[in-house]
Amino acid sequence: MASRRGVGLGAFANRTQASQSYANHGATLRSTHTSSLQTQLSVFQSLLHTFALEHSSTIKSNPTFRAEFARMCNVIGVDPLAASNVKGKNGRKGLGDNGSFWTQIMGGDMNDFYFEVAVRVVELCRETRSENGGLLGVEECRKRVGKGKAIGSGLEVTDDDVLRAVKSLEPLGSGFSIILVGSKQYIRSIPKELNTDQATVLEVIQILGYVSISMLQVNLHWEKARAQTVIDDLLADGLVWVDLQCPEKEYWSPQNLLGDDDEG
Amino acid sequence: MASTLEYSSTSFPFPRRYAFPPFFTLQPNSNTRAVQLQRWSNLIQSWCRHHRIYKISLVEAIESPLFRNAELRKQLSLSDARTVLDWMSKADEEGGGGRRAEWVDGANKGMAWIWWRRPEEWAGVIAEWVENTGQKNVVLTVYELLEGDATISQEWHGMDPEVMFKSLNILVKQGKAQVFGSEGQEGVKFF
Repeated sequence: MASRRGVGLGAFANRTQASQSYANHGATLRSTHTSSLQTQLSVFQSLLHTFALEHSSTIKSNPTFRAEFARMCNVIGVDPLAASNVKGKNGRKGLGDNGSFWTQIMGGDMNDFYFEVAVRVVELCRETRSENGGLLGVEECRKRVGKGKAIGSGLEVTDDDVLRAVKSLEPLGSGFSIILVGSKQYIRSIPKELNTDQATVLEVIQILGYVSISMLQVNLHWEKARAQTVIDDLLADGLVWVDLQCPEKEYWSPQNLLGDDDEG
Repeated sequence: MASTLEYSSTSFPFPRRYAFPPFFTLQPNSNTRAVQLQRWSNLIQSWCRHHRIYKISLVEAIESPLFRNAELRKQLSLSDARTVLDWMSKADEEGGGGRRAEWVDGANKGMAWIWWRRPEEWAGVIAEWVENTGQKNVVLTVYELLEGDATISQEWHGMDPEVMFKSLNILVKQGKAQVFGSEGQEGVKFF
């Protein structure tokens, strides 16, 4: 090995040789690592597989258990909904070629379940979009989906299921996303960002029930013009409703209107 | 026509948005307003249906619990209520609410029919009842139809006679009924 710096023309040959050796060694190390990782992964996946099979009925029926299982899969980088994560990557075909992880383990039931939830979520967002400006609380959505007619009675869903369902829509370029306002999660069904001020105002409404311009001025120390602009934007997007029958205009969030039966 | 006020004590299950203060202010945003008009239309129809009201006088109605939430101290204003009814009176194609209301006094816009069932729909219901009870070719008085014991279980029992005549006239035009007799003594025969 070339341990010292060579001089003269011979050094060129030496250097080439050295870098080649390094490269070789590196490749060996890498392949050892990869194979050991692959072994670990395959062992793990087969364990996960066994586990999922063993508990499949519980996973299907118990929403809490399902959520925990899904979380576990997430932590170790197995996305239960994305088929590409299981096959394809690393050239490994651990659990078969077609369908996602869920499909292989649960015979398609699980995917269908999430897709069904997703369909309900989309329906609900569309139905309520003009009333709430395309912002729907995850919790409200879950309650409504839980007793939805399409899914059949008695099907329990958790917030986690709803979030997962919304995520499953992502590959479709649906424009559905989850946003966090304050401590509350919302499904945004209109691909339009809320700016910081708008999110702040919505958060204030969450806490106080409604806002007025002067409340914003006092609580957030905003200039009147700033408060007015934010409110006007929210109003134009249908995210708040105005009540004119007060000494000062009050702005309310239409979030709680969901679930009102309006048929007939 | 009975005043809507006297019904205020009966329990009508108001929707949750009835407790939402901005519901009583017509919204400036056109998308939001479109939903709001539909919601108001639904509320008015189900309220009228619940209380068997066929015609409302706007001035009276805006003081009734339908348009006024005493608890919240919110009220749909006269002009806003008129806007809602105007919208209801237009057909879907005109961007309205499917002709679920109709001004009785034309341009005055003070009194309106609320069609929680349109006369055509009533005509269908009545024709079906005649069919099911085997009363084709039987002569009935209109009074019997409205107040008779045989129709107590029917939704139109005790209905505003004017609505009944509107509905019967539709059946007449379809050749399914014939109305005869002098005013107050009308009889009807179904085919």
